[in-house]
Amino acid sequence: MGVLPDQLPWWIAGPLLGLLVVALFTISNQPLGASGAYIQTVKTIRRDTDSVSWRAFYFVGIFLGGGLATILGPGIELRRGYSALHAAGWSEATIMIVILLGAIVMGYGARVAGGCTSGHGICGTAQRSPASWAATATFMAAAVAVTFLLTSFTGLGDVVPAVAK
Amino acid sequence: MNIIGLVFGAMFGFVLAAGRLHDYDTIHATLRLESFYVFGLMGLAIGISAPLLWLLERRQLATPYGGVLSLARSKVERHHVYGGALFGAGWSIAGTCPAPALAMLASGAGYGAIAVVGLFIGLMARDQQVQRSHSVILEGDGERSSLPMTKTLGAR
Repeated sequence: MGVLPDQLPWWIAGPLLGLLVVALFTISNQPLGASGAYIQTVKTIRRDTDSVSWRAFYFVGIFLGGGLATILGPGIELRRGYSALHAAGWSEATIMIVILLGAIVMGYGARVAGGCTSGHGICGTAQRSPASWAATATFMAAAVAVTFLLTSFTGLGDVVPAVAK
Repeated sequence: MNIIGLVFGAMFGFVLAAGRLHDYDTIHATLRLESFYVFGLMGLAIGISAPLLWLLERRQLATPYGGVLSLARSKVERHHVYGGALFGAGWSIAGTCPAPALAMLASGAGYGAIAVVGLFIGLMARDQQVQRSHSVILEGDGERSSLPMTKTLGAR
């Protein structure tokens, strides 16, 4: 609907996320991690005795909030996503397999490390946790290194991303 | 608490989508070091929340749902580092991470579903593996999930 700009500036979105982290800690003494929410969603659906149902609601909430912001912003546009990979000339099957494998490695790694970009990257670091700072520094460095390899050897380097300022 | 979870999820997903963090290009522009967006956003999020959490912990804030505020400060172990390396590699390859993948799907990008399915597979595979061995700490300092959470914390 164009109520929101296409992209909030980072100096607005960042503090908003920071305040959300503080607000959830203030209410429930809990961090705002997303990878744990995936696990708890599965456990809640399976009705495991140790499941934490509010994390499943949180999981659904992320989806709904993402949809709402899109409706208020550029509007929901049905598409495949990953236009950069299409522009780089990757075949449809390659793109689907790469996304799936990348996501599996990401999920596995997040569980090994005990968190992801939100859990370790924002909430853990904000608690001044050495473990979270180590995990965050490692995943940032690894992601930059792998991106360098992708842009160097896969044709992705010729595709210019729509750069956010 | 379920309603609170839903509302916080919605606010989190809202900000992620409003910042286009669910967009492959936003992530990759930063990971190519051509844009400061994701670094700046995470840096400010930490910069705002870290001092406030420090202050609230010092004042021994009593939270309505989780007892006295207690921050987690686990020691670094090997799994944080190699898990982080795997996560970072996957983050770059899939161009999204766990929460933005959901916002991506919600924004109409169909392949977001592949990322979400892959995340479920990877996370649950590790979860099952650890359930069998009973030895490794699953929840990091950003992923506590039990309420109240006095018994689950590892090293302080």
